Amino acid sequence: MSAAQVASLSPEAVTIEERSPFQIVMRRFQRHRLAMISLVVMLAMFTITLLAPYIAPFKIQELSVNKYFVPWGTVDAETGRVHHMGTDHIGRDYFSRLIYAGRISLTVAILSVLISETVGIVIGAISGFFGGWVDTILMRFVEFMLTIPQLPLLLIISSMLLRNEEMIAIPDPVLKFMGDILLLSPRDSRNAVLIVMVLAGFGWLSAAQLMRGTVLSLREQTFVEASRSLGASNFRIIMRDMIPNAMAPIIVDASLGLAGYIVGEAALAFLGFGITDPVPTWGNMLAASQQFMLDRPWLPLVPGLPIFLCSLAFNYIGDGLRDALDPRLKL
Amino acid sequence: MTAYFIRRILQMILVVLISAVASYALLNLAPGGPLQGLRQVQQGGRFQITEDDIARIRAYFELDLFLPYRFTRWLIGEPRGPLVIGGQEYFADLKVGCRKPIESEKLNVDTGEYESIITGCKEDVFMKDLVGRRVSRGVLLGDFGLSWKVLRDRPVTDLLASRLPKTIELLGLQSLLSILIGIPLGVYSAVRQYSRFDYIFTSLAFMGSAMPTFFFGIVLILVFSIIPKDAGWMYLPAGLSESIRDYSIPIIGAVEAGSLKDRFLHLILPLSVLTMVNIAGWSRFVRASMLEVMRQDYVRTARAKGLSERVVIMRHAFRNALIPFITIVVFTLPGLFGGAIITESIFAWPGMGLLYIKALGDFDYPVAMSIFFILAVLTVIATLLRDVLYTLVDPRIRLS
Repeated sequence: MSAAQVASLSPEAVTIEERSPFQIVMRRFQRHRLAMISLVVMLAMFTITLLAPYIAPFKIQELSVNKYFVPWGTVDAETGRVHHMGTDHIGRDYFSRLIYAGRISLTVAILSVLISETVGIVIGAISGFFGGWVDTILMRFVEFMLTIPQLPLLLIISSMLLRNEEMIAIPDPVLKFMGDILLLSPRDSRNAVLIVMVLAGFGWLSAAQLMRGTVLSLREQTFVEASRSLGASNFRIIMRDMIPNAMAPIIVDASLGLAGYIVGEAALAFLGFGITDPVPTWGNMLAASQQFMLDRPWLPLVPGLPIFLCSLAFNYIGDGLRDALDPRLKL
Repeated sequence: MTAYFIRRILQMILVVLISAVASYALLNLAPGGPLQGLRQVQQGGRFQITEDDIARIRAYFELDLFLPYRFTRWLIGEPRGPLVIGGQEYFADLKVGCRKPIESEKLNVDTGEYESIITGCKEDVFMKDLVGRRVSRGVLLGDFGLSWKVLRDRPVTDLLASRLPKTIELLGLQSLLSILIGIPLGVYSAVRQYSRFDYIFTSLAFMGSAMPTFFFGIVLILVFSIIPKDAGWMYLPAGLSESIRDYSIPIIGAVEAGSLKDRFLHLILPLSVLTMVNIAGWSRFVRASMLEVMRQDYVRTARAKGLSERVVIMRHAFRNALIPFITIVVFTLPGLFGGAIITESIFAWPGMGLLYIKALGDFDYPVAMSIFFILAVLTVIATLLRDVLYTLVDPRIRLS
């Protein structure tokens, strides 16, 4: 190629459309078809549960006396409201409870993820950045927690917390905040707060390990050295250089964590050590349906399918995000 | 090397001790416990239960001792009474508990219920009172004490011994099947990467690992037990490990309760749930590590030497791909003991997992603590075993 030919090319011909990193990630994510479908499914689920009070015809604890297990689509004679999915064994509207249960299950999962990732990021960043004895103590503690059998300990803790709810003082604003999100009374939302504490209490461990590993590798990068030579404080380096650059694995971990917490909360409720009736969650509705499934085989599918769908969807989204955020994969 | 082992073993002891203290405190600090039923009877007013009765029952469950003494008596069977050195008793008047606590009723404004709060002590328990009380020899010496509720007053060891075979039967077969099926599937789909088989299998495994066991179990019960039974087809029995009465199934015919055939039929469903979930996870793991190995130079070298593809895959790639798999397989050791808590409770399989749930639900703390303690010990042993095995199979890794 001669010099003349290069000069003849106009500037427009060689510049390509500029894309922000976010757009690049979005384009990569869109190629993962199952992740996109999952995203749509989850958005629909979030919308339905957000609009629960407008969609659900009944309140969660509203009893229709003498109308147990009415068939799907039965119309309430007095008020004209429809039991879209019939009623449960004590005459509560199944469809309404299912929607509110989704709201509770999703909220618990999201709050657990937010808390555990935040704690994990902070602990992991401190541990990886400062190293030395701080690192030794923190990571020994994390390893120690991880060598204890998880589910048995989780069961011990949650059974103790839930049986002696009054022993643990939870500030009223927290209860009220939770109650406002879940549309429950502050007293009923106590269980949910405790379960979030239990789930997040174990969840931050893996996030901290992940963050520490990332920070350790970032610490040696030249841009950190550059920041330091410009006189940036430790706090500034952690906040501006470390955390934003370590976000990719954390985001993937969080979306997989959502799947884990939804299943975890449901499993605890299923075993009777989580949020209990009268507050509905998919897990305790599934557990309750188990004793009636001999006569009504479809009953367990109603609360069980959303658990499965959410778990699958968040797994796919996590998978898609991993592909999209991995800088080694070029478009 | 010796120093490493000594340090590791000290760490293990520390981990087990701390987790035992923590869970013991969690279970025992909380009110309720074995006295809860008693209080309900008392409030019902059907029986007159005197203060002395309560004191006796509290002493029976050792609830009248302070927590640290209760814990050491549970762990090592001490203290049994005053320390005797050269015929002289020491600490005989040390206060170790409270026989009759003073309880005052307080109205809880939130719930509108009266709660009793311990405000003082009427009668103390002293070290000298401990002489002659029954005490276990201590968990460390293999005496797990007596069950409180599940099998009242029978040794916990008996209870564990009756449940353990069931759990090992289920979990042992599960591990065996998962290895036998999961590894070849993972290897095959790695060797044929991006083939139709790989694609279908990977998506199935993905769904399998996203599937919660409790939902999967219920679906299997529906599809293979309830629906076919209603329709009068051949079905599989679900629940328990063997039936109580003789029964007959279409096509299979009459089944005698407790026979080998009966036990086999009961095993199929829980075993399938556990195995399928496990295969999904394990084979994905094997596939990933196999793909990693197939990219290595030594595999290319083996191919370049002109070795057959079969030898390359089996001798050179497969063996190395299994190294990270050790991490997973070793942890089936505590799993074998702990049982699969969720699966066992769906299928009412009388194993350790179900026992653990039942013990927690019934406030039978000696049983729950024993299972938790043994599990914690096995888990730390598995962790050590994994690290040692790692160095054996991969000389590049050093213990330090």
